[in-house]
Amino acid sequence: MLSRLASQRLIEVRQAFRLSAQVYRSFSTALNYHIDGPDNNPDLPWEFSEANKAKVKGILSHYPSNYKQSGVIPLLDLAQQQHGGWLPVSAMNAVAKVVGVAPIRVYEVATFYSMFNRSKVGKYHLLVCGTTPCMICGSREIEGALLKHLGVERNEVTKDGLFSVGEMECMGSCVNAPMIAVADYTNGSEGYTYNYYEDVTTQRVVEIVEMLRRGEKPPVGTQNPKRIMSGPEGGNTTLLSDPKPPACRDLDAC
Amino acid sequence: MGLGLLTSRTLKSSRILHSQYSRFRPIVTKPKLQSPDASSAAAAAPQPETTPSPPKKPVGGARIHFTNPDDVIEVFVDGFPVKIPKGMTVLQACEIAGVDIPRFCYHSRLSIAGNCRMCLVEVEKSPKPVASCAMPALPGMKIKTDTPLAKKAREGVMEFLLMNHPLDCPICDQGGECDLQDQSMAFGSDRGRFTEMKRSVVDKNLGPLVKTVMTRCIQCTRCVRFATEVAGVQDLGMLGRGSGEEIGTYVEKLMTSELSGNVIDICPVGALTSKPFAFKARNWELKGTETIDVTDAVGSNIRIDSRGPEVMRILPRLNEDINEEWISDKTRFCYDGLKRQRLNDPMIRGADGRFKAVSWRDALAVVAEVALHVKPEEIVGIAGQLSDAESMMALKDLLNRMGSNNVWCEGTGTNPSADLRYRYLMNSSIAGLEKADVFLLVGTQPRYEAAMINARIRKTVRASNAKVGYIGPPADFNYDYQHLGVGPKTLLEIAEGRHSFCSAILNAKNPAIIVGSGLFEREDKDAIFYAAETIAKNGNVIRPDWNGFNVLLLSAAQAAALDLGLVPESSSSIESAKFLYIMGADDVNLDKVPADAFVVYQGHHGDRSVYRANVILPSAAYSEKEGTYENTEGRTQQTLPAVPTVGDARDDWKIIRALSEVSRICLPYDTLLSLRSRMRTVAPNLLHVDEIEPATFGPSLSIDCTQEINLTPFKAAVENFYMTNSVTRASKIMAQCSAMLLKE
Amino acid sequence: MATTVVKSALQAIRERGLRTFLRELKDDGFTFVVPLSSFLLKCFFDGNLLFPVSALEPSSEIILGILSSLLFISSFDGNLIGWSRQTKIHNIGATVVGVDKFGNKYYEKLGDTQAGRHRWVEYAKKDRYDASQVPPEWHGWLHFITDHTGDEASLALTKFALQNLRLSTCLKDLHILVLQLLMLKPKRYGVEHKENLSGKGNEFIYHSKGHALNPGQRDWTRYQSWQPTKAE
Repeated sequence: MLSRLASQRLIEVRQAFRLSAQVYRSFSTALNYHIDGPDNNPDLPWEFSEANKAKVKGILSHYPSNYKQSGVIPLLDLAQQQHGGWLPVSAMNAVAKVVGVAPIRVYEVATFYSMFNRSKVGKYHLLVCGTTPCMICGSREIEGALLKHLGVERNEVTKDGLFSVGEMECMGSCVNAPMIAVADYTNGSEGYTYNYYEDVTTQRVVEIVEMLRRGEKPPVGTQNPKRIMSGPEGGNTTLLSDPKPPACRDLDAC
Repeated sequence: MGLGLLTSRTLKSSRILHSQYSRFRPIVTKPKLQSPDASSAAAAAPQPETTPSPPKKPVGGARIHFTNPDDVIEVFVDGFPVKIPKGMTVLQACEIAGVDIPRFCYHSRLSIAGNCRMCLVEVEKSPKPVASCAMPALPGMKIKTDTPLAKKAREGVMEFLLMNHPLDCPICDQGGECDLQDQSMAFGSDRGRFTEMKRSVVDKNLGPLVKTVMTRCIQCTRCVRFATEVAGVQDLGMLGRGSGEEIGTYVEKLMTSELSGNVIDICPVGALTSKPFAFKARNWELKGTETIDVTDAVGSNIRIDSRGPEVMRILPRLNEDINEEWISDKTRFCYDGLKRQRLNDPMIRGADGRFKAVSWRDALAVVAEVALHVKPEEIVGIAGQLSDAESMMALKDLLNRMGSNNVWCEGTGTNPSADLRYRYLMNSSIAGLEKADVFLLVGTQPRYEAAMINARIRKTVRASNAKVGYIGPPADFNYDYQHLGVGPKTLLEIAEGRHSFCSAILNAKNPAIIVGSGLFEREDKDAIFYAAETIAKNGNVIRPDWNGFNVLLLSAAQAAALDLGLVPESSSSIESAKFLYIMGADDVNLDKVPADAFVVYQGHHGDRSVYRANVILPSAAYSEKEGTYENTEGRTQQTLPAVPTVGDARDDWKIIRALSEVSRICLPYDTLLSLRSRMRTVAPNLLHVDEIEPATFGPSLSIDCTQEINLTPFKAAVENFYMTNSVTRASKIMAQCSAMLLKE
Repeated sequence: MATTVVKSALQAIRERGLRTFLRELKDDGFTFVVPLSSFLLKCFFDGNLLFPVSALEPSSEIILGILSSLLFISSFDGNLIGWSRQTKIHNIGATVVGVDKFGNKYYEKLGDTQAGRHRWVEYAKKDRYDASQVPPEWHGWLHFITDHTGDEASLALTKFALQNLRLSTCLKDLHILVLQLLMLKPKRYGVEHKENLSGKGNEFIYHSKGHALNPGQRDWTRYQSWQPTKAE
C-alpha cells in the first residue's frame, strides 16, 4: 500500500517537473543588448539619404527646438525604412546625433518598441501576433509552422534573405484571430507596406509564404473563404432585422 | 468635545471587553489581510478618536527649511499635523513626521522616477493608493501610512518585486545591508504565489570597479539617474520593456566616470556591488571608523570598514557641506594600496647600497648623528601631500631648532604666499559654489583634481544653467563648458577686458573664479594670480556677501602646511642640501639633490623618493593615525585610526619627537594634545574641528605685481586621476582603473 | 588561566600527596619513566609547545622539572590551553563523566570553573584530534545542549526504541515503527559515526585555519611590505 502511494507521488512529482520544463517565456523585443556583427557595428558609417534629410527637417519642425528628442520615434522609423526594415546600431547613433541626445537614450526607445527591428530582417518580415486572443487561437502553432517551414529561428533571416519571423503585439483584429502581419520591404523604403493576413491556419501561412516567394500578392484580410471581412462565418447571425428605435415616451401624448 | 470624549471612552471600554474575548480565539497571522472583505470592513468601521501621538523624530535627520513663510502648508500624517513647505512630496512630509516610508526608486538627491511603487500610502478621498514619492503634498491632505490598505499595497508590490528576484542572498554581497531584504522583512508578505520560472539577465561589464549581477536588478533606475544626473556619463539606460526590461549600456561600454563607485551605494539590491570587495567580507563583521579622506584636497568624509588589522572597504559619510553622500572612485578604492608596498621596519642603506632593517634606536642614532654635523642652512625638510598638520608642525619645529628654516610642503611651490590666506583657499566654500552662476576655471581641471568639487559644479550647471569658462589644456568635463584658451594669454585678455567672456562675468550675479594650485609651481605664479585678481576686481567677484575668488588645492596637506607657515627660506635650498628630511614627499623632484646629501625618508610606502633615501623611517598611513587635516576650503577635520599600524611603523609626529630627543634638542611636547596646543599658537583654526576659518583679508592687501607673465600654456596638474599619491600608486585596483578606463 | 592550572596542580599535590598525584598523572597517560626532556621534545615535534628544549636539562628531579615547565607555561598567555596534554593538567580535580566507544574521555568540573568551560573532552588520539571525533550522542552533552551524557542518551534511546518496537509490532502500525527507527539517533542511517576526513592535512583530517595542527595558514600578515632589493 505504502509503495503504491509512494510511486503515485513520484509520478506526480515527475509531472510537476515536466510541466515546469515546458514553461518558456518569450519576449517580443528580442535581445536587449547589442552584439557586434559584420553588418551591424558602431564603426559602420550611416547617414540619412538626401531625400530623407529633407524629411528629417520636416519631422523636427513639428517640435520645439529645445525638445528635439521628441522626434526620436518618427526619426527611428524613417531610419528603419531607409535601411531596409531594420536599425543597425550606427543608424541609432545617427538619430541620436540628429536629436542631440546621448545614444543610450535612443537605444532605450528602440528597445522598448517591438516595431523597431534591431537585427537584420528579410524582404518579408513575418510578424506573428502573440497577444492573448491570437495566442488562445493558436498563434504559437502558427509561428511554429512558419519557423519549421522556413527552417529558421525567431529573428533570423532565411539564407536567400527573403523571410524572417518575428513577434508583434496586438494589431487590433482580434475578431479574426489568429493573424500575421507581413512587413513588405520589396519596394524599398518608398513603397513598403504592412499587410495583415487574418484567420490564418498552419497550412494557410505556408501557402502565403510560398505565394510571396513566387512574387504573388496574396489577398489581404481574412483568409477564411466563408467570412467577409470580420463578419461571422456563413452570414450574419444577429441584427437581421432593422433595429428597433430606442424607447421613448410618446411626445404627442403630452 | 465632551460628547466626543464620552464616545471614545465607551468605545475604549468596549474594546477592552472585546480583547477579553479575543483571548480565546485561535491565533491567525494577520487576520485582516487574509480576507479583503474583513479589511475593507475594518477600514469602513468608524475608528475610535485617538489623541494625536506625540511627534516622532524626523527620519534620517530630515530637516525642513522654510524659505518663504507664506508657503507653509499643513498636512496630517496618521492623524498628526505636520507643517511643511509647499512643493514637498507626500513622502518627504511623512519623513518629517517621523514615519519611514519604504522606497526603492526614490532617492533624495536624484530626480523622482516613481516606478517601484513601494512607497504607496493611503490618502483620504483618493480612490487608489498613492505613490507618495511622486505626489506633491497638498494643504490639508490626510495621509495614512499604516492602514490595512497601505499595508496590503506594499505587500503586493513586494510580492511582484520578489517574483523575479533570485533567492541568492547567501552568496550576495549586499546581504545584510540590502534594502530589499530589510523591506521585505518589514513590509513584505511571508509567502509568494509565483510558481513560474524566474527570469535571468545577462551580466554587464561596467569596468574594474562595479560588479554586476543583473538578475538581481529590480529596475529602480537609481543607477541610470545617478549616471545621467550626478556623474554625467550617459551610458546606462533602461532597455526593453515589461518583464524583459533590464538595465544596461546596449553596446559594450565601461563606466568611465570618476564617481562610478557610488552606484554601488545607491543600488538597493545586490545588482551593482563592489568588484574589489566581492566575497571578501560580510558587512556585519566589519568595524566602521568615521574618518576623513586624504587622497585629494576635498577632505571627503568617509567611513573605513575594517576587519582586524585590514581595511576592507571605504564608504562615504553624509556631509552636506563637502561631499554630500558621494565619494570619488579614488577615495573609495585606493584602500588596497594601504596593504601593499608598506614600509614596516626602519632601514639604513649600507656601504654596498643595500637597505638593511635595523632597530629604531640605531636608525634614529644615525639620523641624529648626521643632522648634528651639517651646517644649519644645509638642512632641508619637505612634507608630503598626505602629511597631517601635527607632524608638519613637529617637523617645522625640529628643523627650526636645528637652525634651518628650509621646510615646505610639496606642491606648494618654492615661493608660496602663505601670508595671504585667501590666495590658497576656496573662499566661497564648496557648498557655496552652488550659488555661483558663472565659473571661470583657470588652469584647473576639477574633474581630475577634485572630483567632488566637479560634482558640485556640475550640480550647479544642471540646476541653474551656470556658464563655465575654462582656460587650460583641452579636457573633457562632464558638463558644457566654453574652452576660452590654453594659457595666460587668454587670462590677460579677460583681465584687460578684451575677451568676450568678460561680459558674462560682468553680468553674473555671483561669479566664481577657480584657480588651480598646479600654477603654484610656475615661476610667474604671482603675475598669474595678479591677473586673476584683476578679473575678480573688475567683475565684482569679491563682495561682502559673496567671495568668488577660489583656489583649488591638490592635496590634503597643502592648506594646513601653508597655515603653519611651511615656507622655504630660499627657493634653491634643495640644490645645496646636505641633510634632506623627506616626510612622505614622493612627487618632489630629487634630481637636483647633491649626491653627497644624506636623505632621510619618513613615510608609509616604498614609492618614488624612497630609492634616494639613506635612512628609512616607517610611519603610519592616514587610516592608522589620528591627525588634523585642512581641506581646500579651510575646513579643519580629523582622521581617526581605523586599523593598527603595520610592522614597526610609528606615528609621524612621534618619530620626529623621538628624533629630537636623540638629537638632544628635545621638542617640548610628548602627547598629541600638547602638540596641538603648540599648533594653537601658530594656527588656532587647526583646532576648530569641522569649522571653516575664512580668510580675513582680500586682495586689497596684495601689492601690485610687476612680474612679467610667461605665455607658455598651462599644464594639466593631474595626469592620471587614479594615481596621484603613494597610496594610490601602490594600489592594484587603481592601476587596473588607469589601464582600462583612461584608455578610452 | 595558566596560573590557575599551576595552582590546582599544587593544591592537588598538597591534598593527595605527591605519589598519588604522579599516579593520577600516569593514569592519565603520562609515562614518567621516560626522561622529562624527551617528553618535552616529543611535544615540541607535535608543533604545539614552542619553548626551547635546551632550557630544561634532563633531571632526576622530575617534580622540579614539571613545576618549572608549568611556571614557564604560565608565563605564556592562554594560547597553550587548547593543547591536548595541557588538558591533562587541566583534568586535575575534574570528574570523568564517561568514555565513548572511540575512547574519548569526557570530563566535567563544577565549582569555581568558568561557566561554559566546565565540560571538555580528551581525545583518544593524542596526536591527531579533531572535533568531529566526538560522536553525536556525546555532542549534545559536550556542547551544553543537554545534561544527559552520551551513555544515558544512547541507553535511553535504545530502551525507548525497543519498548516501542514491541508495542508497535503488537499494533502492527508501520507508521509509528518508521518514526521510532528514525529516532534511534546514534545509528540513524545504520552507519557508524565517522570523523570528518575531508581536510587536506595529515591523513585528511580537517583543521580550521589557524589550528595548531594545521600546517598551512600560519602567516597572518595582512599587508605586503616593500622589498628594498627591488631596484627601480
